[in-house]
Amino acid sequence: MYAMVAAGLALMLGVARLINFAHGEFFMLGAYAFWFAYRELGVPYPLAAVLAPAVMVAFGIAYQHGVIRAILPRSWHVQLIATLATSIVLTNLAIIALGTQPKEVPTVLSARILDVGGVRVAWQRLLVLGASVVIFWALHRFVARTRTGRAMRALSQNREACAVVGVDVQRVAMVTFALSAALAAAAAALVSPLFNIFPDMGTALTLKAFAAVVVGGFGYVNGAIAASFLIGLTEALAGSYVSYAYKDAIAFLVMLAVLLWRPQGLFGRRLGI
Amino acid sequence: MRLALALATLLFLAFSAGAQAPPIKIGFASAMSGPAAITGEGVRWGGTLAVEEINAKGGVMGRKLEAYFADNKAQPGEAVSAVRKLADVDQVDVIIGQTHSGACLGAMPVVKEIGIPMVVESCSHPKIRELSGKGGNEWTFRVALDDEIMAYTFARYMAKQGVKTSSVLAMNNDFGRGAATAYEAAFRKAGVKLVSTEFFDPGQPDYRPVLARLKRANPEAILGVILASDGAPFLRQFRELGLTQKVYARGSLASAEFLHQVRDNPRVGDGVVEASYWITGLDPDWDRKWTERHKIPPRIHGSLAAITLKWAVVPALEIALKKHGKADRASIRAALTEVDVKDSPLGPIKFDANHQAWINMILIEMRDGQLRILEKLPTSPAFLN
Repeated sequence: MYAMVAAGLALMLGVARLINFAHGEFFMLGAYAFWFAYRELGVPYPLAAVLAPAVMVAFGIAYQHGVIRAILPRSWHVQLIATLATSIVLTNLAIIALGTQPKEVPTVLSARILDVGGVRVAWQRLLVLGASVVIFWALHRFVARTRTGRAMRALSQNREACAVVGVDVQRVAMVTFALSAALAAAAAALVSPLFNIFPDMGTALTLKAFAAVVVGGFGYVNGAIAASFLIGLTEALAGSYVSYAYKDAIAFLVMLAVLLWRPQGLFGRRLGI
Repeated sequence: MRLALALATLLFLAFSAGAQAPPIKIGFASAMSGPAAITGEGVRWGGTLAVEEINAKGGVMGRKLEAYFADNKAQPGEAVSAVRKLADVDQVDVIIGQTHSGACLGAMPVVKEIGIPMVVESCSHPKIRELSGKGGNEWTFRVALDDEIMAYTFARYMAKQGVKTSSVLAMNNDFGRGAATAYEAAFRKAGVKLVSTEFFDPGQPDYRPVLARLKRANPEAILGVILASDGAPFLRQFRELGLTQKVYARGSLASAEFLHQVRDNPRVGDGVVEASYWITGLDPDWDRKWTERHKIPPRIHGSLAAITLKWAVVPALEIALKKHGKADRASIRAALTEVDVKDSPLGPIKFDANHQAWINMILIEMRDGQLRILEKLPTSPAFLN
């Protein structure tokens, strides 16, 4: 979950040089889109899990047009305030429009348990793991092999040069936001059957994803994915063996230690996906 | 000429009647936004419905009620702003709130400073009782029972069920920490060994790490201080990991709200026993009205806010109007000390020297996806011994 959200955040940072503090709300909206398709419309799970990212692609494009275009040429202060404000507005709109009652979206796989030698795990968790591998592989192929992916990489290295050689900067930025929103929604559709859906669910996630982006090497997608696994693992180990109440604090302390050791992030790259 | 005189008299009467009966302003403070917004939404619904109900019957001695709401975000600092907004901007006469213990404790000094009565509907931190009334804060009253009051009885009940060891899993806030402290003492007294105490932040998606800790501690029972909204993922992951401990609860785990949330698999909560003071069914008429309007079962915090208004604040307003001919803040505060309601849905409401009402405590069990009351116990200060 952290990795997919952080990968989207890193993409946006790498390509648009912008930290989208409303990215957790992309995850939240993706979860609600999935809930609506799966529970309200009765769409089968695999189709609903594809529909939610599709809806969020449209949202990502609208967000890029409505918010990002206006603030991209402005200072980082404006970008920070604008994306934070969007986050607050989206959360509160969700409270007003969808209510505060948590939504449950259990699936057949979330109720089925695999028991291997006393180690019990819901099949849905295995689906999350498998689907994540496939999604990251596809993302890697897209960024490395496609024309748009190469344009994204080029843009992350030198925006001005790209514009000079005729790369459609706005179109690439739009694709980046659409892709990031889809990744967040895919994560939501995968993990929601295990958890709850509620309006505030994205807030803490943005912070953790941002920490992963910083630790992974500002804007480096593979670094953000690796750092997300590090955060998740640290949280799980801290929660299991030290203190569950302070697992977040411990995870952030570990991140701090990593940054003291390697201020440039785990993979020590300059800005670029 | 006669017609003009009659009209003038009519207008005078209308104006003077209006001047004599301004509405009484009731403020409700709860978490309307943030992770605990579900509680505030309930309070808004419950407060609105109760005020409409009272006004439909003519108000309180001919005076209509007006409801005002403020958001405390379940935070002590925000609770201060909520009280200031209700008292200074909305100019309310009495506040009902603050739902969350931390917010209550944060609001108490400011209601004392301003001089506005606050009737607490559901905060259960024991410190609220200690600090109210003769404890120094004459402006705070509490209808809800606190965890110290309930802990001794619940711990004795658990011991009677054969529980020798228990862990506590509590929310990482004033409510959870207050309850954890209360149960530590109560378990010791009841002869139940406290094996471990764990805290979690509300809204957590993943309980597996803490469940792994509980599994290693291996208690016979787990006491969860947890609300319905967190209860569904917690219990589902509890079953996923194959834990077999008996679950006891404080909060709103054994509630219609929880069962509505897990309606696909309502038996996930089977066997949970909860100590509480409210459950659907205590006031069927209220349940019906709520469900008709909101299409979901009544929520605990909204229902408690409504009960507090109808069975504690309204009787106080009647006393104030009868005795002092007015319902200003001081008169309402004085009248609250005289409230003596025998038959509210929660039991008797009469505030003691610490401004604590000793309502009934109930033990609720979830079985086959249904709620049933195991015991209804009248409470008294003797519960603390």
